[in-house]
Amino acid sequence: MSHTHTDQEAHNKEAMAEIKKVTIILSVFTIIELILGFWMIGMTSVGLKLAVKGTIVILMMAKAFYIVAYFMHLKHEVKNLIMTIVVPLMLFVWFIAAFLWDGNSFRNLRNNYDPYFKEQATIKVEKKEEGEHGATKHKATEVKEIPAPSAPVEKH
Amino acid sequence: MSTTTTASPNEAKLWGGGKSPFNSEYGKVMMWYFLMSDAFTFGAFLISYGTVRFSTNGWPNSNEVFRSFPFAPEGVHAPLVFVSIMTFILIISSVTMVLAVHAGKNMDKSGVVRNMIWTIIGGLAFLSCQAWEWNHLHSEGAWWGMNPFLNADGTASSTNFTNFFFTITGFHGFHVFSGVVINIIMLIMTLLNKFEQRGHYLMIEKAGLYWHFVDLVWVFVFTIFYLL
Amino acid sequence: MSHEAALHNHEGQGHDDHGHHEHHDTFLTKYVFSQDHKMIAKQFLITGMVWAVLGGLMSVLFRLQLGYPDASFPWLESILGKWAKGGQITPEAYYALVTTHGTVLVFFVLTAGLSGTFANFLIPLQIGARDMASPFLNMLSYWFFFTASIVMLSSLFVETGPFSGGWTAYPPLSALHDASPGSKSGMDLWIIAMALFVVSSLLGGLNYIATILNMRTKGMSMTRLPLTIWALFFTAVLGVLSFPVLLSGMILLIFDRNFGTSFYLSDIYVNGVGALSNEGGSAILFQHLFWFLGHPEVYIILLPAMGMVSEIMSVNSRKPIFGYMAMLGSLFAIAILAFLVWAHHMFVTGLNPFLGSVFVLLTLLIAVPSAIKVFNWLTTLWRGNIRFTPGMLFAIGFVSLFISGGLTGIWLGNAALDIYLHDSYFVVAHFHIVMGVASMFGMFAGVYHWFPKMYGRYLNNSLGYIHFWITIAGAYMIFWPMHYQGLAGMPRRYFDFSIWESFKQFAELNRFISTVAMIVFAVQILFLINFFYSIFKGRKVTVLNPWESNTLEWTTPIRPGHGNWPGEIPEVHRWPYDYGKDGHDFIPQDVPVGADETDTH
Repeated sequence: MSHTHTDQEAHNKEAMAEIKKVTIILSVFTIIELILGFWMIGMTSVGLKLAVKGTIVILMMAKAFYIVAYFMHLKHEVKNLIMTIVVPLMLFVWFIAAFLWDGNSFRNLRNNYDPYFKEQATIKVEKKEEGEHGATKHKATEVKEIPAPSAPVEKH
Repeated sequence: MSTTTTASPNEAKLWGGGKSPFNSEYGKVMMWYFLMSDAFTFGAFLISYGTVRFSTNGWPNSNEVFRSFPFAPEGVHAPLVFVSIMTFILIISSVTMVLAVHAGKNMDKSGVVRNMIWTIIGGLAFLSCQAWEWNHLHSEGAWWGMNPFLNADGTASSTNFTNFFFTITGFHGFHVFSGVVINIIMLIMTLLNKFEQRGHYLMIEKAGLYWHFVDLVWVFVFTIFYLL
Repeated sequence: MSHEAALHNHEGQGHDDHGHHEHHDTFLTKYVFSQDHKMIAKQFLITGMVWAVLGGLMSVLFRLQLGYPDASFPWLESILGKWAKGGQITPEAYYALVTTHGTVLVFFVLTAGLSGTFANFLIPLQIGARDMASPFLNMLSYWFFFTASIVMLSSLFVETGPFSGGWTAYPPLSALHDASPGSKSGMDLWIIAMALFVVSSLLGGLNYIATILNMRTKGMSMTRLPLTIWALFFTAVLGVLSFPVLLSGMILLIFDRNFGTSFYLSDIYVNGVGALSNEGGSAILFQHLFWFLGHPEVYIILLPAMGMVSEIMSVNSRKPIFGYMAMLGSLFAIAILAFLVWAHHMFVTGLNPFLGSVFVLLTLLIAVPSAIKVFNWLTTLWRGNIRFTPGMLFAIGFVSLFISGGLTGIWLGNAALDIYLHDSYFVVAHFHIVMGVASMFGMFAGVYHWFPKMYGRYLNNSLGYIHFWITIAGAYMIFWPMHYQGLAGMPRRYFDFSIWESFKQFAELNRFISTVAMIVFAVQILFLINFFYSIFKGRKVTVLNPWESNTLEWTTPIRPGHGNWPGEIPEVHRWPYDYGKDGHDFIPQDVPVGADETDTH
C-alpha cells in the first residue's frame, strides 16, 4: 500500500516481463517435446527411447513448475503457503512408485503363471480394415464363445 | 509456543492469529486446497493408466492412433500436429488469463474484459478441437469398450487404451468446460461492475487459479497420452 | 494494494456482521437450512446417531444369525420379509447386512458423524471465530451428506437388495451386474451415495482447513491451538487428499459397470452367463485406489477421537497435557504415514512380495507416533487430580482400546503373519477395537464433555456411568474372544460356521458374543434416551465454565447465538493447558500473562 505511482509502474513492467519470459519458456519446452516426439516415431533402440521419454518427463515437470510458480503465482506467495502446497505433493512420489511397481509386478506374475496371458501377447493380428475390426471384435459387452474359464489354460 | 517465540518476529506476526498467515483471504486458500484435492483426482486417473499400462504386455502406438488432422486429405498422416495445436491454444489461453488477473490487480476493467474474452475463446477453441478429435476417433471405431487399434508390436490390444483415453480426456474436458462457464460468469460480473464496487478483482484471481490448473493438467495428459 | 484492502475489509466484516446481529430466523433457517456452525454440528450428530442405530441394529441381526444359526425367529420375517424366509436370514441378506453395516459405520457414523460434528462445533468455538470461513459451503456440506444418506437408505429398499460385496466394494462383485443380487441397482445407489459423500467431505474439509488457518483470533498462534483443533486439522487434510482418489476409483468403476470398459476386469467367468470378453484390466488396481483412501480413512476416523481425548484428559486430570509438541509431531507423523501404508491391506491379493515388505516397514513405523501418544496420555493421567466424569471415563476407555487394538495391528502389519491371519476374525477383532469401538468412545467422550455447550444442559451422570461400564466391558467381551477364533482360522464374512467340524467348538462362544452384542446395543439405546431426554429436561447449566476448562468455547454465553460471542472475540494470551500452574487450578486462555508468572511452555 505504500507503493508510489512509479513503484507501481516499475512493478507492472517487471510482471509483464515475467509473463513474457514464462510464455516463451513454455512454448520452447513444448516445441522441444514435440521435436523429441517426432524423433521417437521411427526409433527402434529401446534404450534411446527410454532416455528420450525420460527427457520428456523432465520437460513436463519443468513446464508444470513454471505454470504453478509463475502463472499461478505461487512463487510470489508467502513461504508457508508454498510449503503447504509442495509438501503434500511429495506424497505423489510414493503414490506413483508403488502403483507402477505393482502394475509391473502384476504383468510379470501373469506372464510367469498364466500361459494364456503370455500367449495372447505374442499372437499377431492380421491388419484388416480398422473400422469394422474394432467395432466387432473388441466390444466388451459381448460374450466370448469360450465355455469355461479354464479352457484356454488347459491347452498347455 | 517455543516455535513462535524463537522464530523471526515477522513469522510470529503472521501466525499469531487475528489475520491470515498467508496474506490471502479464505476463498483463495480454499481454492488452492481444492486444486490440491483435484490434483489427486487427476493423479489417481493418470497413475491408474500407468499401472494398467505397466501390467499389460503390449500397448498401441500413440503416433498411429492420433495422426489425423481436420480437412486433411485421405491417407495423409500427421502425428502430433493436431494435439500440438490444442496444446498451444491452452497455453495461450492461460497467458491471457494471467494478463486478465494482472489487469484486475491494477483495477483495469477494460483489460480484464479484453483478456477474459480471449481466454473464453481459447477455452471454446480447445473444446471444439477435442470434440473433433473424439468424433474422429469414434468414427474410426474407438469408444469406451471398443478399441480398433492394434498394439505397437501388431498383437491384439485390450480396450484399456481407449477406455483411459476417453475417461481422462473427458474428465479434463469437463474441467475445461466448467472453467469456461466460470470465466463467462466472471466476465459478466466484470461487465456489471461487481468487482469495481467491491474494490478488488480477487474473484478473477481465483478463477485464474482454476484455469491454470486446467492447463497444468493438460501438460500431463498431453505428455502421457500423446508422447510417452 | 486492492488485495490488502480486501483482506482488511473481510476482517472488518467478520466483526460487524455477526457480532450484533438481530436474528429474524424462521424455523427453516434456524433448524433446517441453518448456516450456524453449531446447528450444522448438531445436524451431523443426530444424522450420525440415526445411522449408528441402523448400523448397530444390522450388526445385531447378523450376530443373531452367527450366534443361533439353527434357530428361526418368525419376527425376523415380519421385519425383513423375503430376506428372512421362515424366520432365518438368507445368505444374501447376511452379506447385505454386513456390507451396509461396514459402509454406514465407517463413512456415515465415524466420518461424518464424528469429524462432521466436532469439527463444525469445536473449530470456530475453540479458535475464537464467529463461524466457519464459508458458512454457506458448510451448510452444503451437511446437505450433501444428508442426500447421500437418503440415497444409501433407499438402497436398502431395492428389490434386489443393497450392495452385498463388502464395504470395500472390490470388483468384480461390484463391477458386474450379474455377480450377485446386490450388485444390481443396490450397487448403483451405493456408488451414488458414496460420490455425494465425497463431495460433502470435500466441502467440509476445505472449510475446516481454511477456517483453522485463517480465522484464528488474535494471539491464537498455531502452537496455542488445543489438540482437538490440530487433530481435526490433520483429519481434514487427510480427507481432502485421499477422498478424491476414491472418487477416481468410483468413476472408473461406474464405467466398468455401465459402459463396457474393463479397467478392473479380466478373464472372468460368470455362472449362467459365460466367459466375459473383458480383458486387460486389473482388479488389484481398484484395491490400490480404494485403500489409498481406505487407510487414511482409518485415521480420519481415529484422529478426531485422539484430539478430543487429549483435551478431555487434560481438563479432567487438572494437569497440562504431557508433551504438547510431541503430541503435535506424532499427529503430523501419523498423517504423513497414513498415505504411505495402504497396501498392507493387500498382502495376499497378489501384491508384489518385495513391495509388500516395504509396506511392512512403513506400517510398523506407525507404532512409533502411536506409542508416543499413548505414553503421553498415560503420563498426563500420572499423579493427576482425576475427575471421573463420564466424558473422562470414555476418554480413558479410548486409550485402553487403542492400546489393545493397536498391539494386534503390529501383528497384522507383518506380511508373513498376515498371510495366516488375513480375512479371519482376528482382523475383525483388531479393527473393531482400534478404530470402531475406540472412535465410538472418543465420540461418546466428546458428546458427554461438550453436551453442556451444545444444549445448555447436562447429560444424566448415572446413566452415563452405566453406559460406560457396560459398553467397555461388553466391547472387550465381544471382541477379545474373536482374536482366538481368528487364530484358530475362523474366516470372516461367513454366513454359517456350524457346518464345519473345526469351527463347531465355537458355537457356544459365538452365542456368547451375540448375546453380549445385544446387551451392548440395548445400552446404546439407553444413551440415546439420556441424550434426547437431557436436551429438553436435563439439569440446566448455570455456570459459564462447568468443567473449569481453559479453552475459548467456555467464554461464550451458556447458550451462544449465531456469532458465538455477544461482544468482542476474546484475545488469547497463553496455550490451553495451564492447569495447576503457580498455585492456580486453571488459567483460561484469554487471561493475560501475569508479571510474576513462571514461564512454562
